[in-house]
Amino acid sequence: MEKKYALFTGCMMSTEQYAYELSVRESLPTLDVKLVDVEGFSCCGEPMKSVNQLMALYLSARNIAIAQKNNLAILAPCAMCHLSLSECKHILENNKEMKDRINGMLAAEDLNYSGSIEVLHIVDLLYDKIDLETIKKHVKKPLSGLKFATHYGCHLIRPSELGRPVNSENPTKMEEILNALGAETVSYYPEKLDCCGGILQINSLESALTKTGQKLKAIQEYGFSGLVDVCPWCHRMYDARQVKAGETVATKLEVPVFYLTQLLGLAFGIKKEKLGLDLNLSPVDKLNLSEVQR
Amino acid sequence: MSIVDLTSMGEPQSELRKEINDRLSKLKDEISDYCYQCAKCTSGCEAHKLLELEPHKIVALLKRGLIDEMVNSDIIWTCMSCFKCRERCPQKIAPIEILFALKNMAVASGKEIPGKYTTFLQSILSIGAIQDIQEISTRDNKTTRRAELSLPNISKPKDLTKFQASLMKIAVEKV
Repeated sequence: MEKKYALFTGCMMSTEQYAYELSVRESLPTLDVKLVDVEGFSCCGEPMKSVNQLMALYLSARNIAIAQKNNLAILAPCAMCHLSLSECKHILENNKEMKDRINGMLAAEDLNYSGSIEVLHIVDLLYDKIDLETIKKHVKKPLSGLKFATHYGCHLIRPSELGRPVNSENPTKMEEILNALGAETVSYYPEKLDCCGGILQINSLESALTKTGQKLKAIQEYGFSGLVDVCPWCHRMYDARQVKAGETVATKLEVPVFYLTQLLGLAFGIKKEKLGLDLNLSPVDKLNLSEVQR
Repeated sequence: MSIVDLTSMGEPQSELRKEINDRLSKLKDEISDYCYQCAKCTSGCEAHKLLELEPHKIVALLKRGLIDEMVNSDIIWTCMSCFKCRERCPQKIAPIEILFALKNMAVASGKEIPGKYTTFLQSILSIGAIQDIQEISTRDNKTTRRAELSLPNISKPKDLTKFQASLMKIAVEKV
């Protein structure tokens, strides 16, 4: 059965991390997922939490109300957007006074929040809504011989109290998806749950890059073929800022970094140009992806 | 009040401050009997090793009512919002929520907002997103942009004036 979602692109993916958006739009239709572009969305609010939490909550509620008006569940490929929208649902479900207050404000744009729609991320869409067996059926070019480290992103993992798509201390859904695509993984490495530093780059880039560098250095030393992530903020740190991150830990970093949806597309036999692979700034060519493509 | 007035935060905003103060008082009342300073939050804190943030001390300082001292300190801006403290606290206390409230208070008190937060806020108010569409570089150093990649137009608030008005209301006054 066809699954239909409003694609909530968020700021980071839609203004800069185009490889993620390309690979999401390209690979999901293979799995009978229809993505709808809905007008009117704004920032999810998450980056504004430090400035004004009520504004963050309002922005999330507003976006959910727009999807709801279109009778669509939301697919939010960014871990930060996903947390922001999920937290909004959690807060407003338990705080009627706040819900009324927010609805009072939303009325100005002719919107109303009820919170009835579902908010999904790529990982739970693939693992829980679609399932591994279906994914396996579509694999034409298995990613054999490659062994990946995964990075889930803090906002996707925690706080479990709000209901997150993966286990908070030992998430394994990405590993299982990668295995279904024919790649190898390890269930755990010591830095697996470490933060990318993404939020800190807003006000302290140097420290943020040190966080990024420390994790990448470990991954390089363990000898993984590459790192796989599912958040445009994390990817920006690990991929686009890898060289600078390497300077903070005095190491020449050469870790290929992929979005999960890029690998999904490759395994489905989609051409790498269509998956935005020329936009990854980390040395992804190291893996001889043409071999996979053959 | 214009965007510039809003984001320069020249005037301390008393209504907003009062509201955040209520939030902090509530957090204080909720935690004062429960935190036993086990420091599990600090042991897992992503900002601890690198920037010496100690969430258990933030909780202790709040318990003692030293709010102004924390609002004036740069340490509150070192949190990476990884949510590990909230996840792992055996007493269900969330130091990260205290830090968010303290940062909100710093902003509402007219303190200088560090880093790009002001730019982000201004951008959200004017176009709905934290930044405008960027021209990016490919791995072999060619530049490209969204339109060239045949991606559709970005979803934006339809009526920016109304959108902006609501956000301004939140930022400056009690709704």
